[in-house]
Amino acid sequence: MSRPGAQVELRALRRSYGDKVALDDVSLEIEPGNFVVLLGPSGSGKTTMLRCLAGIERPSGGGILINGQMVAGPSRFVAPDKRQLAMVFQDYALWPHLTVEKNVGFPLATSQASKAARRETVTGLLRRVGIDHLAQRYPNELSGGEQQRVALARALAAEVGLILFDEPLSNLDADRRESLRIEIATLTRDAGASALYITHDQAEAFALADRIGVLNLGRLIQWGTPEEIYRSPSNPFVARFTGLAGELPATVTEVHGDRATISLNTSSSTVLTQCHTRAPAGAQATVFIRPSAASLTPDPQPGTLQAEVHDSAFTGRGYEHAVTIEGRWRLAKIFSPTRFDRGELVELRLDPASVNVMVDEDATTP
Amino acid sequence: MSRATHRLRHLPWSSAVLWTVLVVLIVAPVTTFLLCAVSPRLFSLGPQWFTLSSFSAAFQGHTLEGIINSLWVSTTVATLAVVIGTTLAWLVHRTNLFGAKVIGASLWLLLLIPTWMTTVGWINVVQPGELLSAFGLNTVGLSDWFFGAPGVIIILTTAALPFSYLIISAGLRGLGSEFEDAARVHGAGMRRALTTVLPIIAPALLGAFAISFAEAISDFGVAFTISQGHQAFPLATFTLFGAIYQQPSNFSVAAVIAMVLIVATIPPIFFQQRLMRGRSYAVLSARTRPVRRLQLRPLPRAIVSISTATFVALLVGIPLSGAVASSFTSTVSFYTTTGIHWTLDSYRGVFNPPPAYGGSLSGPLWTSSQLGFYVALATLVLAVAMARRMTVPNPGRSQRVADVFLLGAVAIPGIVLAAGYILFFNQAFLTHHLVDLYETTPLVVMGLVAASIPGQTRLLMAPVAQVHAGLGHAARVHGAGRWRTWRTTTLPLLSRTLVWAWAITFTKTLAELAIVELLYVPGHEPASVQIENYLGSVHGAVGAAATVLLLLEMLAVIGLSLGLFRVLAPRGWRRIGQVGAMA
Repeated sequence: MSRPGAQVELRALRRSYGDKVALDDVSLEIEPGNFVVLLGPSGSGKTTMLRCLAGIERPSGGGILINGQMVAGPSRFVAPDKRQLAMVFQDYALWPHLTVEKNVGFPLATSQASKAARRETVTGLLRRVGIDHLAQRYPNELSGGEQQRVALARALAAEVGLILFDEPLSNLDADRRESLRIEIATLTRDAGASALYITHDQAEAFALADRIGVLNLGRLIQWGTPEEIYRSPSNPFVARFTGLAGELPATVTEVHGDRATISLNTSSSTVLTQCHTRAPAGAQATVFIRPSAASLTPDPQPGTLQAEVHDSAFTGRGYEHAVTIEGRWRLAKIFSPTRFDRGELVELRLDPASVNVMVDEDATTP
Repeated sequence: MSRATHRLRHLPWSSAVLWTVLVVLIVAPVTTFLLCAVSPRLFSLGPQWFTLSSFSAAFQGHTLEGIINSLWVSTTVATLAVVIGTTLAWLVHRTNLFGAKVIGASLWLLLLIPTWMTTVGWINVVQPGELLSAFGLNTVGLSDWFFGAPGVIIILTTAALPFSYLIISAGLRGLGSEFEDAARVHGAGMRRALTTVLPIIAPALLGAFAISFAEAISDFGVAFTISQGHQAFPLATFTLFGAIYQQPSNFSVAAVIAMVLIVATIPPIFFQQRLMRGRSYAVLSARTRPVRRLQLRPLPRAIVSISTATFVALLVGIPLSGAVASSFTSTVSFYTTTGIHWTLDSYRGVFNPPPAYGGSLSGPLWTSSQLGFYVALATLVLAVAMARRMTVPNPGRSQRVADVFLLGAVAIPGIVLAAGYILFFNQAFLTHHLVDLYETTPLVVMGLVAASIPGQTRLLMAPVAQVHAGLGHAARVHGAGRWRTWRTTTLPLLSRTLVWAWAITFTKTLAELAIVELLYVPGHEPASVQIENYLGSVHGAVGAAATVLLLLEMLAVIGLSLGLFRVLAPRGWRRIGQVGAMA
């Protein structure tokens, strides 16, 4: 099954409720067939943006174009049923009085296809999502994972160019979340549709997205590929929200282009070279450390910091540790294949290429 | 542009329609009526533009006695209804009581029976020469006692009990066992756990009190029926009726009584609203666990079950058996020296009456059925539209005001509404320039719709709000237009509730007395008016037979409605509302 993905453009989109601004001047563009994830904390405006795009909410300002056609603008508002899109809802939104088969077949009711063809389409979709044996059941007779598969099949049945996902995995347990995430990624890409997926889970965002938009307080803070977001967060908020082991204070000593030498403001004054930064020499800065940028060794080596193991957790393939430096700074999620016990003194190595250094005045609010 | 004008200009059209309906049906007639208490000349009812003389006339003698009686009787009734309702609700929902479903069903039956029917039933039991006399009892003393305050309190408590029970049951059902569990694991005994948890349903208790009070103080059926041929215990609603129907009629005094009735319902509603601020009766959440019932041991379980069943059987059984027994006897005297004389004469008399009976019941039954059909249909359409408007997310000022207004309007007595209709729709500016509705069927329909809308809207608000907005949004984004979304999503989810609402409005209209007594079209008496005519004559048994027939029609309408829904509605529609179907 293949269909042309929709091209979507948001122009200075704004949505306010009285004095409260939920979306503020958001512009972005989704290329046909792209899988875009909007990542942000609760209240960041991501659900509002999705609902504006779906036509459930009317924007207060700006515009939305789908395939070059204005669907929401100053003098135009196209109803949801005329926008040629589908949506997977957070709480599934399955109609409790309809069987699984009828829920999935709902978007086909207005199609020109024969009844037999529609039935065949529904059966095929149910088979693809692995619930063809549940076709005659009602939603309340299904588990959460099965209900979400029905919702996914319904969205795919619409055969439209744009599928919206409203935190579809947030109500599922970890195992089901993982398996369904893979199915969403596979089936949506197979279908050729563009996708806009919102979540507050950075792991989900990095796993699914072609491009990620990070939202906070109604504004689009950063827009880029998962690699760009992870490696070069535009500000401390993005760095923190996309997963950190911890932060350490530092002074920038030398700058060469976008690389710098810094000295950590610890008693050991450990020096890191070749760090990513736009900070000027002499600036007081904060080092944002990804979990992958830190490692532990039992013995002191040049450039390492002494730390005390605060906690260790078995993760299956090894151990994640939380360590404390000089009793003041804590770093967490530091992986090691071997276990270090609580209270043990270890050496912490930081990979300069994988840390981000930002000046302190940035480090307040985004 | 002033702020008020600005707000008015920006009122959504749906709010404007909602308010137009409310103003025409309720606000204008009631306000007109109340205004004539202070300005009789405004409505050509007296020489003064402004006077308070009606107040001094109303607050003396028989009228004052009626007002005072109404106030203390209603307070007593509301208190009894809450105490008994809480006990019954707890026994039914929180213990392993035998026959819990039968008790629940009996209370539903009580909800359907209007107070005038209950009164007819009780009269047929306690009046000398009636049922108890047949067992050789001298009921003269009992009869005197019954036609005073005790009888009124018993009947009004019986009428208010179902409301109280249903509201408190809803509160208890939402009270998951996790609250009790939390109290118990933190060291509270059974009693302390209960006293800790009960305040959570305080809004439900206060709501039950407010509605019971409003039902009691606005009741017309008991006062009117008891007054037929008896030296009755005066109540405000009947003195209001008397003020209008005396010669010459005194609308201004009637308006003062109406004002007292309305004002009296404000404190309970106000306190309930204050307590409800920011929360609802429902404490249900996705994490609410099913309730765990107290497992009574066999002997206490049997004793409690038998006691409860006896109590409810007496409440329902006494009036029903009184009416039924009386309808099957031959004369005014149930007890004769030769024993009980069973006969179908009264039923024959209902449909082939001698001239003295005042006409057959078949015409009035047909009139009432037509009224019931149209009123139920109109009420349903308007109440659903209003409930949808009231339950939108982020309600605006219009919805908030309408919410409080409808809550207060539930308590407007039917007799006040009807009196307001007589006055307002008789005004020259309407009858000469717009439309003359006085003594027409449309006016009766409007009055009955006005009486039904506040209660039905508030009853429908909960189920309408329960239809998750996401279900409609899902239909819209998957290609359904507004009408298809309503037809395929909202209608099926509300279908069972709508059938119930329609059937209940129909049956309530069939048996309504206060409004039709004042507004009926001469020559087209509805059934309740005709039955009261029978009861007011010496042919009480014919009145009892007519009462039984009307009750049977009410039950048949509900049975038929639910039966048709069962047969005609798709399987998925019927699943909604069943246990777990909305999970």
